[in-house]
Amino acid sequence: MELFDNLLLGLSTALQLNNLVYCLIGVVIGTAIGVLPGIGPIPTVALLLPFTFGLEPASSLIMLAGIFYGAQYGGSTTAILVNVPGETSSVVTCLDGHEMAKQGRAGPALAIAAISSFFAGTVATVVIAVLSLPLAALALKFTAVEYFSLLVLGLFAAVILAHGSVAKSLAMVLLGLMIGTVGIDVNSGVARMTFGVPALADGLDFVPVAMGLFGLAEIMANLERPETRQVVSQKLRDLVPSWADLKAAFPAMLRGTFIGSALGVLPGGGAALPPFTAYAVEKKLARDPSRFGKGAIEGVAGPEAANNAGAQTSFIPLLTLGIPANALMALMIGALMMQGIQPGPQVMTEQPQLVWGVIASMWTGNLMLLIINLPLVGVWVSMLKIPYRLLFPAIVLFCCIGTYGISNSVFNVWLMLGCALVGYFFIKVGVEPAPLLLGLVLGPQLEENFRRAMQLSDGDPSVFVTRPISALLLGIVVLLLAALLSPAVLRKRKQALSE
Amino acid sequence: MTQRRIDWPDLLFGLFLICVAAGAFAATARLSGGTAADMGPGYMPRAIAFGLLGFGLFFAGRGLVRPFAGIAQVQARPILGIAASVAVFALLVEDAGLALAAFAAIVIAALASRESRLVEVLLFGIAVSAGAVLLFVKALALPVPIWPW
Repeated sequence: MELFDNLLLGLSTALQLNNLVYCLIGVVIGTAIGVLPGIGPIPTVALLLPFTFGLEPASSLIMLAGIFYGAQYGGSTTAILVNVPGETSSVVTCLDGHEMAKQGRAGPALAIAAISSFFAGTVATVVIAVLSLPLAALALKFTAVEYFSLLVLGLFAAVILAHGSVAKSLAMVLLGLMIGTVGIDVNSGVARMTFGVPALADGLDFVPVAMGLFGLAEIMANLERPETRQVVSQKLRDLVPSWADLKAAFPAMLRGTFIGSALGVLPGGGAALPPFTAYAVEKKLARDPSRFGKGAIEGVAGPEAANNAGAQTSFIPLLTLGIPANALMALMIGALMMQGIQPGPQVMTEQPQLVWGVIASMWTGNLMLLIINLPLVGVWVSMLKIPYRLLFPAIVLFCCIGTYGISNSVFNVWLMLGCALVGYFFIKVGVEPAPLLLGLVLGPQLEENFRRAMQLSDGDPSVFVTRPISALLLGIVVLLLAALLSPAVLRKRKQALSE
Repeated sequence: MTQRRIDWPDLLFGLFLICVAAGAFAATARLSGGTAADMGPGYMPRAIAFGLLGFGLFFAGRGLVRPFAGIAQVQARPILGIAASVAVFALLVEDAGLALAAFAAIVIAALASRESRLVEVLLFGIAVSAGAVLLFVKALALPVPIWPW
């Protein structure tokens, strides 16, 4: 019963008092930023990264993970009560959740959302535990050749499954890779692309890049729109859903969990894609699809379960292969590297306490979230009354302090400012910045493995297609690209993403 | 009647990529490329720059022939306000201390929004600066001076 042993080991780590406290801090911060529109988990995690440096690796990851899945809970509260998705993943929850709130059923909607999330979170924890071992064992057999192909697949899949134009996203990945080459070349010791700036010798830190692109640029764009927010003001009585509600929601919850777990594992899946898929499935399966959009409880339960399950299973590629499924996981890799841990399949065997501790903490974290979100929902609602005009200067300040704090360098603050301007440009021309972050974080690994593979093969690129595993991985990339170019899939993807 | 052309977002993004690629070529011009079996420091940056150049030309070209697409109006106030706020923070933090830098950053950032109110911003700025000093310097031990003296 190795699985059982591992989970026990994880629980013993997760249940240590200090780790419980960090988990609680993480989920509370996560819920808060989830509730507040205008600040997402990416800048928040980037902001807190410098301060996790002094913590144990396990504690730091437990807290950062808590922020991520906590934000999924908080996002749905805003979606239901204000009809503003706190996070992109809760966009679909607005459709039926807010409708329920308008009909005076905000209580049951919130309760079903929380219960679905908790249920999905619990199942996803088990899924992670079961899938991690075989995947990591497989990955240990990888050489530089396979690893390079895997990284390529990861990048392509992340781009194809995410929002936005694929060609533009690929260009952004390349841009990230380009920025990733800045700094001293490890093999020759020569400074590359530093333009003579000594602060660039160690390469670009991804925290200022992430905060500039995601945090500040977002604020600049937000300020151009006038603020509109209407909170459904009603007493939140009857938080307990009726038996009929539960019965209607349960099958949707199961399906949502399954969809979320499956899609979350895929690179690029993360928390954004699953809820859309789950909603579409529920609508298709419903006996009377016209109820959807008018307060159908399945329309809340399915997507909510899917988004939480997806948020959690997106940790699988990170923990087992060292490959981030989305921009946030890329930050997690950064957190590991700051702790001196090289991400990759060996982490599982070398740091079992860390990996299983993080996995087990997701369950304790979900339990905490259930308590934080249901009885205390009033607290979060009152947080919504903080106007954006006060919120954004504080976010700007915290971004500045956080960036400065990584290495006490003013240069990083200037770098963040530059990235903010570039990020604003990206928003204006309609390009998603997330692939850039993936490229930036994976760039050094990609180059290192590519070089090593080419050394092994004496400069013969055919090695990538003659090794079976590598050929298979690259084959999937080609298949994905081919499928994407076929007009039928193109139309469907557009439909699925715009729904 | 000619139809209006030029997809501005595509064109600008393409030009941006071309500029980045050109910058990369210029910066790595003196680095040795090496061979595929034994890569020099310039190999990867140049390979990526070629890719960027390709994408840049593609988007710029496509932008020129596609039907018109505009860019949402750019407002100067939010950009200038936020940028000035960050810049002032960067200039002040090490010499004038966190308390003043934080206060200045808050007040200047607030100028980015039309909805800000003077008294409210000043009070809020003092409160948040004090909180930031307590949280980051006292609790998280960030090594930065609090006051200029």
